[in-house]
Amino acid sequence: MRAARDALKDEARPDAVRRQHERGRMTAREALAALVDKDSFVEYGGLARPVIEGMDAPAEGVITGTAKIDGRPVAVAFYDYTVHGGSQSYMGHHKLVRIFALAGELKLPMVCWLDGGGARPQDGSPGRRLAPETFVLFARLSGLVPTIGVVSQRAFAGHANLAGMCDCLIAVEGAAIGIGGPPLVYAATGSRLTPEEIGPLAVHRASGVVDIAVETDEQAIGAIRKYLAFLGPRRDEFQAPDPQKLRAIVPQRAQRAYDVRRVIEGICDIGSLQELRPDFGKAIVTAFGQIAGRSVGIVANQPMFLAGAIDSDAGDKAARFAQLCDAYGFPVLLLCDTPGLMVGPEGERTGIVRHGSRLLMALANARVPLMSVVLRKAFGLGFYIMGSQALRPAVLLAWPGAQYGGMGLEGAVEIAHGREIAAIEDETEREALRERYLAKMRHDGSAVETAARFLYDDVIDPADTRRLLELTMDTFSEPDPNRSRGTYVDAI
Amino acid sequence: MAGVIIEITAQPGQKVAAGDEILVLSSMKMEIPISAGAAGIVTEIFVEEDEVVKIGTLLFTID
Repeated sequence: MRAARDALKDEARPDAVRRQHERGRMTAREALAALVDKDSFVEYGGLARPVIEGMDAPAEGVITGTAKIDGRPVAVAFYDYTVHGGSQSYMGHHKLVRIFALAGELKLPMVCWLDGGGARPQDGSPGRRLAPETFVLFARLSGLVPTIGVVSQRAFAGHANLAGMCDCLIAVEGAAIGIGGPPLVYAATGSRLTPEEIGPLAVHRASGVVDIAVETDEQAIGAIRKYLAFLGPRRDEFQAPDPQKLRAIVPQRAQRAYDVRRVIEGICDIGSLQELRPDFGKAIVTAFGQIAGRSVGIVANQPMFLAGAIDSDAGDKAARFAQLCDAYGFPVLLLCDTPGLMVGPEGERTGIVRHGSRLLMALANARVPLMSVVLRKAFGLGFYIMGSQALRPAVLLAWPGAQYGGMGLEGAVEIAHGREIAAIEDETEREALRERYLAKMRHDGSAVETAARFLYDDVIDPADTRRLLELTMDTFSEPDPNRSRGTYVDAI
Repeated sequence: MAGVIIEITAQPGQKVAAGDEILVLSSMKMEIPISAGAAGIVTEIFVEEDEVVKIGTLLFTID
């Protein structure tokens, strides 16, 4: 028995370990040990053997079991790249089916290290056995427990199928991901491509497949820990940022862009932020953060990109993020500075009518509190979606520069007064009239005038933002640790 | 999506810190300050003021 158990350890496989290290990677067991609390790991199926008589495959290439991460019980499934390239096998699937079912029953976050190229062809003609339930069971964990995946080197075929269903997918620099690896691509198209040519990390960052990109296995482990820590309990120790800094961020010039991340950093506990999908849907920033030790999900228009207009990708990104917040019980903090949804034929070609609505539907149907802060522009459907009173946010605050409009002001003037303006013969007089109407609309849409019509709960000093949000969050009940969304979180 | 270079704030040879403004781009009626991604020396600025630029155009390099 002892010999059988010892054969699983890295010490028993020095050549395999050395090769993995030469690739600049940790072994699966090293990564697992670095991630979980000391002596907390209970291994399931370590002694399971391949169905092929005599095939050597320690732990059948995937290490499964339960463990604790920073005291929190989790379930883990770590593919071992040193065992037949981390390929999936008949017995390996049985192990996953067992651990996924257990994670669902015991409500354990499921953490997967997805390192491999799909199925192991030698493992008894794949077509002759029943399709494994692995992927269906993993799909059913969505919305029930957090699912986190890391791609360290390769995730192709079966591994990519799992990657594509994770709440949060973390990938290490140099990783390649693809629904089909070189053999499948060759069979389908006749092209001989390397994994890096099929699906390099840059492609997946830009397409929204990968949520967090890191440089090393160690950073991936840190990212898992940080993500899980948002689940609670509330942190006692945290550092508040200097509130005065919030006053200096939005420029005086209305058309000058600024990076909304500075606002997010000015509100949240120092070091608490974890941004998801920064390279996709850039017109909105989505990040988890904490305010006075309590987790929130932040959705913020990004004026640096498309002037903060919401395009299809941003709508998708924010909608899915809202679903994640709903699944975890996090309040959503909406920071609004948008001229509205992206208009024009280019936007229509991307289906903005649907992708924009997707965000509204996600927020309107989320069962977590919303909090809104209008930083600057609050126009049309964009503002409606980004936390207007129709969504009944727990609080709706505006900064002094907030500019409200039912629609873009130039368009509004044109619709309401276009004929009257066009009737004037003298060009200077015409433009003067147009400017007077615009000025009136700007005045009516200014922060205090808008608050006077009770479209905002209050207009505040930006330096007061965090304090007021903290007080508002004091009115929320603690998120239920057994909370379930009741349905799955969209894959993208 | 196109933009216009409205102001070039830095010069080739200039030492910059991460976050320092290099130039200002105008697009979608917004003035977008483009900053240095990392600290270093501005080696070359490939555009000039009033130039119309398309997505993907290389604006400057920093060493």
